[in-house]
Amino acid sequence: MFKRNFVIATLILLASLATILLNAPLVSSQGLTITAAAVEGALPLEAPDSELWRLATAVEVPLSAQMIARPILPETNAKAITVRALHNGEEIAFLLEWADATRNDATVRVEDFRDAVALQFPLIDGQPFYCMGQQGGDVNIWHWKADWQAALIARRTLQDVYPNIHVDMYPFVDETENLYLAAYADVDFLPAEAVGNLLALPVHTTPVEDMVAGGFGSLTSQPPEGQNVQGYGEWRDGLWRVILSRSLRSTEAEDVSFAPEKLYSVAFAAWDGANRERNGAKSTSQWVSLQLGAAPAPAAAPAAGAAAPSPARTAAVTPSGIGPLFWGFIGLLVVLWALIALTLLYFRDEGKS
Amino acid sequence: MPDVYNWQIGRTMTYPYPEAHPRQQFAAVFNINRCIGCQTCTGACKATWTFSRGQEYMWWNNVETKPYGSYPQHWDVKALKLLDEAHQAAGVKPNWDRTQANEKAPYGVYNGLTLTEAAGPNEVVLGYLPADAEWRSPNFYEDTSTAYRGGPFGLSPDGATLPEHQAWFFYLMRICNHCTYPACLAACPRKAIYKREEDGIVLIDQERCRGYRKCVEACPYKKAMYRGTTQVSEKCVGCYPRVEGADPLSDGVPMEARCMAVCPGKIRLNGLVEIAEDGSWVEAPQHPLYYLVRIAQVALPLYPQFGTEPNIYYIPPRWAPRPYLRQMFGPGVDQAIERYIAPSRELLAVLQLFRTTQKMIFRFEIEEGALVREVEVNGKMWQMYDDTVIGFDAQGREVVRLSVVEPLHERPLERLNSI
Ligand code: SF4
Ligand code: SF4
Ligand code: SF4
Repeated sequence: MFKRNFVIATLILLASLATILLNAPLVSSQGLTITAAAVEGALPLEAPDSELWRLATAVEVPLSAQMIARPILPETNAKAITVRALHNGEEIAFLLEWADATRNDATVRVEDFRDAVALQFPLIDGQPFYCMGQQGGDVNIWHWKADWQAALIARRTLQDVYPNIHVDMYPFVDETENLYLAAYADVDFLPAEAVGNLLALPVHTTPVEDMVAGGFGSLTSQPPEGQNVQGYGEWRDGLWRVILSRSLRSTEAEDVSFAPEKLYSVAFAAWDGANRERNGAKSTSQWVSLQLGAAPAPAAAPAAGAAAPSPARTAAVTPSGIGPLFWGFIGLLVVLWALIALTLLYFRDEGKS
Repeated sequence: MPDVYNWQIGRTMTYPYPEAHPRQQFAAVFNINRCIGCQTCTGACKATWTFSRGQEYMWWNNVETKPYGSYPQHWDVKALKLLDEAHQAAGVKPNWDRTQANEKAPYGVYNGLTLTEAAGPNEVVLGYLPADAEWRSPNFYEDTSTAYRGGPFGLSPDGATLPEHQAWFFYLMRICNHCTYPACLAACPRKAIYKREEDGIVLIDQERCRGYRKCVEACPYKKAMYRGTTQVSEKCVGCYPRVEGADPLSDGVPMEARCMAVCPGKIRLNGLVEIAEDGSWVEAPQHPLYYLVRIAQVALPLYPQFGTEPNIYYIPPRWAPRPYLRQMFGPGVDQAIERYIAPSRELLAVLQLFRTTQKMIFRFEIEEGALVREVEVNGKMWQMYDDTVIGFDAQGREVVRLSVVEPLHERPLERLNSI
C-alpha cells in the first residue's frame, strides 16, 4: 500500500514538473536565432552596402525600454534592430540597422547626447541577466558611439559648435597650434584624461568601446590595449547602419571568444540621443541565439547584371517558436517515460501482494 | 529606499542609500550682509580650477544678484516650480511646523516633499538639465534691484528704511554645498560620486564618470557641470588639497578654500565641523561654525526643503522682504535677522573672525573688554564691548587675535603724504 501511494505521489510530481517545463517562460525562449553566415575572404567591415551581407539572413530583433533600474525612460525611440552577421573563420561582423529620425553625433554641449548601439555577450556558460549581466555573470559589451564615429573623420572642437568662441589662451597648451585642438602639455588639467578615462581621450582609433559589466552600474571600459572591436557606422534618411567587428577568438578574459558552428547568446541595446537616452534610458532586447555557420563557404556574390534580389529580411522565427516547443517535447518524453516506468512498477507490486 | 535623518528639515526622508556620515564636514558661513559683489571669489576659483578647455562656462563659485540673477539662468525658480508641481500633483500643501522645533530639529519640521521624495517612480531625484544657453551670461541682472516706486521726482524719503527696503537686491554667493545627502550622488547610476569620509567633500570620480549628466540634472543648486571636451562631469572640489593641509602654505593644517580665503568683503568663514555617527554636529560651543549655525542660529541653509542638507550657511540680508527670505532659507530667517541686527557680545566677537587667516579656525576664545558704546536698536538698548577674540588652528595653535574695535593707527605728521 505504501508503495502505491509513493508511486502516485511521484506521478503527480512528474506531471507538475512536465507542466512547468511546458509553460515556464524561459529566458532562452526568446526564440530568435541569428546565424552568422560563413563566407570566404575579407568581411565588409566598412561597407553596409556590400553584396556579401545578402548572404546573411536578416533577423529583426524587437527592443523595448529598460524598465528595471532607475533612471527609467518608458518611451524610448528604437523599437527594433535588424541584424545580419557574417564570419570568415577569422573575423566576425555584425550589421545593425535601426530607424532613428535624427543623427546625434556630438556630445560637446551639455544637452547633446549621442546615438549609440551595443552588443552584449555572456562571459559565463548560460545566460546571465539580459540587462548588463549580474554579479558572477559578467557580460562583454561592444558599444558603438556616433560621436566617436564622427570624430574619426573630423574631431569636433568647441569652435565647430560655437563658431563665435574667442579664447585668448589656455594655460599649458601649445599656442602655436589651433587653440581649440592643441594638445595639453600637462593632462592634469584634463583630469578625466589624466586618470585614463577612455571617454576623455582626445583621439580614438575605433568608434567602439569594448567593455565588461556584471550588473547595473558596474560597466567598466577595458584597458586601452584591450580595445579590439572595430566599427563603422553611417546615417542616411532616418536609418543608422552600423557594423561592429572583431577577430573571432580573443584571449582576453573580458572578451567573448567565438568558434565556428557553435551557439552563443547575444543581446542588443540602442540609444537615441535626441531623446536624451543614455545609460539605463535605452531600448534593449532579451537574449537572442547566435549560431556561427560552419566552415566558410565560397563567397558567391550574385551574378553581375542579374536583378539584385531584395535583401533577405525575415523575422526568422516568431518569439514563441523553437524554445518552448523544444522544451515541451522533452517534457512530454519525460512524462511518457515516467508513466511507462510507473505502470510497470505498479503492476509488478500488485502481482506480488 | 532607506530613510535618513535630515536635521535641517527635522525629520527622516527617503534617500537611495542608508546613512553613513563623514568624521568631519566641510562647511562655511557666508554673511550676505557684507558681500560687495566683487566676484573675487569667482575669479579665484576660476584661476585655480576651471581655466582649461571645456570649462569656459563653468563657475564653481558664482555670485548672483537676487531676486533676478541666477546661474544657470532661473535655476532656483525652475527647481521650486518642479517641487511645486509635485506638491500639487500629490495634493500636499508644504509648510514648516515651527512648534516642533527642538535640539534635533532646530528649524522645526518641514511637512512637504523633498526632491528625492517628489521624484516619482522613474527617477531618483526630481530635477532638470539646463541647456547650454542657460549657463551663459552668468552675471546677467547684476545689481538689478526690484522696481523703485519713488514719490514726486522719483524720490522716496523712506525707500531705504528698514526692516524692508522698498527697492532691494542682494548678492547670493554660491558654491557646491557638499551636501550631507547629495542629490548628485543619489542620482548617479554609476556610483561615480562619493562623499569623503575625512571631510565630507563631495567629488566626482573622473575615472568612473561616463558623462550621463544625471548629477547635472539632479543637483538642485546646479553645481555639478558637464565638460564637453572630456565628456565627463566636474564640480567644485572644495579645494581639498588645502583642506587636507597639503598646500605648501598651510603648515600642515587645514586651510580655507580659495574662494573663501580671497574674499575682500570678509564675508566667509570656512571650516570643518565634527560629525557624530548619527550625522548630528558634535557639540562644540567654541567652534565658530558650530556657534554661528547651532547656537546663535544666525546662519541658515539655502533651500533646506530640497532635502540635500546643504553645508553652506547664510546670514540672511536684513533689508530684504521676509517672505522671499523664508522661502529661501526656511523659517529661521526672522530670528536670524533679529539676532544679527543686535548681536550678543559673543556673536559680535565671532563675526570678527571672518576672513582673517587662511587657516581654518577650529576653536575660539573671547577675552572680555570694556563697554565702548550703548545705542538703541529696534527699541532696545544694545551694548557694544571691545572684546578680543582669539582663533586657534587644528593643532590648537593661536592663529589670529582680534579686538571688536579695530585699532586706529595715526600716520605721523612727517609721513602724511606717503603711501
Ligand atoms: S550642491 Fe549639488 S553638486 Fe554639491 S553636493 Fe549638493 S547636490 Fe551635489
Ligand atoms: S571651494 Fe574651491 S573649488 Fe569649490 S568653489 Fe571654492 S575655490 Fe572653487
Ligand atoms: S569675494 Fe567675497 S565680497 Fe567679493 S563677491 Fe565673493 S563673497 Fe562677495
